[in-house]
Amino acid sequence: MAVETMTVEVAEASAMGLKAIGAGLAVGLTGIATGIAEMGIGAAAVGATAENKDMFGLALLFTVIPETIVIFGLVVALLLLF
Amino acid sequence: MAEVSTGPAPYIYVCTRMRVRKAKLLPREDYLRMLNMSLPEITRFIEETEYKSEIDELGASFRGIDLVEVALSWNLAKEYQKILEITPGALHQFTMSYLRQWDIQNVLTILRGKYQGVKAGRIKEILIPAGKLDRVMLDRLLAEESVERIADALRGRSLYPVLERELSAAMETGSFARMENELYKEFYRSIIADSKSGVKGGPVFLEYIRLEIDIRNVQNLFRLRMGRMDGDVRDMMIPGGSFSVDELQRIAGMENTDDVIDAFQKKAGFESISALLDTVREKRSIHEIEIELTRIMLGEMERLSKRYPVSICPILVYLEKKKFEVQNLRALARGKEANLSSERIGDYLVM
Repeated sequence: MAVETMTVEVAEASAMGLKAIGAGLAVGLTGIATGIAEMGIGAAAVGATAENKDMFGLALLFTVIPETIVIFGLVVALLLLF
Repeated sequence: MAEVSTGPAPYIYVCTRMRVRKAKLLPREDYLRMLNMSLPEITRFIEETEYKSEIDELGASFRGIDLVEVALSWNLAKEYQKILEITPGALHQFTMSYLRQWDIQNVLTILRGKYQGVKAGRIKEILIPAGKLDRVMLDRLLAEESVERIADALRGRSLYPVLERELSAAMETGSFARMENELYKEFYRSIIADSKSGVKGGPVFLEYIRLEIDIRNVQNLFRLRMGRMDGDVRDMMIPGGSFSVDELQRIAGMENTDDVIDAFQKKAGFESISALLDTVREKRSIHEIEIELTRIMLGEMERLSKRYPVSICPILVYLEKKKFEVQNLRALARGKEANLSSERIGDYLVM
């Protein structure tokens, strides 16, 4: 009986652990992808703003568009955890 | 020092800056408006554009056409030096090699001026220190007394071997034309070598340079035809383009201009511009043909810069377009000064 209870507890704990790893991967990998996507856009945005100050608002908007990817990751992580 | 790899970001940054600068160049409509203005109005008009700081700075020392000329030269030099400052890695190396053509122009201007006894101050006004030789070095050259001493002062520079070889002949004949040809041939030879040196981005640079050499050769061939220069043209052609020098010699021997254009169009590797060359058929005078060829060249360069968006091409296209903007404004100002008609001036503008 005691052994059976322990097996269930271990299974529940490892399920929780795997969920946490999944959540971590979801946020981590999307974060890296966002970083890569923003590298090019950010470089171009700084270049455009350096030449024309009026571009700042629009350039900033373009730069943060890939942030949506990491938000998707965060949503998936939250769904996994709660 | 080992180069730190920073990825493509610095390249994207510079190429975007060049695109924005290119977008700020004067559009066709502005030239058309300026054609109907007088010289003071043109000066005031360009004062409201990117040339403001130069016009303001030089306004106290120069008047009229001199003000426009000097302001344009200063602006061009400043712009080119600024681009050299912001370009990273291999792009810097290629841009530097490409801008060496201004060293040739400056040294030739100084040599010709000194040979004809023009005052140093007057020569200085028309120098454009956009290349490797900066203002300090050019001032040193201007301070030299004789043509030979100027050549000696350039010892150790890439121009020196050609100067040493050609100077005595140029002094004997009193013409620097042959030396000029040799200097430009050497320049193209060295930038082709740079592009083949295995640096990343070299093949794209080479493609661009070959296009420029092709168009220059075609332009020169038309000039020679119009000037009724028969005989051996091999010496005046730049090797390294799509056409070998011997092929150009064969084309130069053709009687009919249409045959010449046909020969250019048939050449493999020249297809991209061959359709555009049809527009040249309709042009009759040499300056019309030259302007049309320049327009074809710029269009083709633009196409290359779109095909390779993160490469040396967007930078070189901007350098070329800026050069032609300055040339256009100079032509406009000079034309107005000489009271030429608007139509006549318009024919000489690359719009």
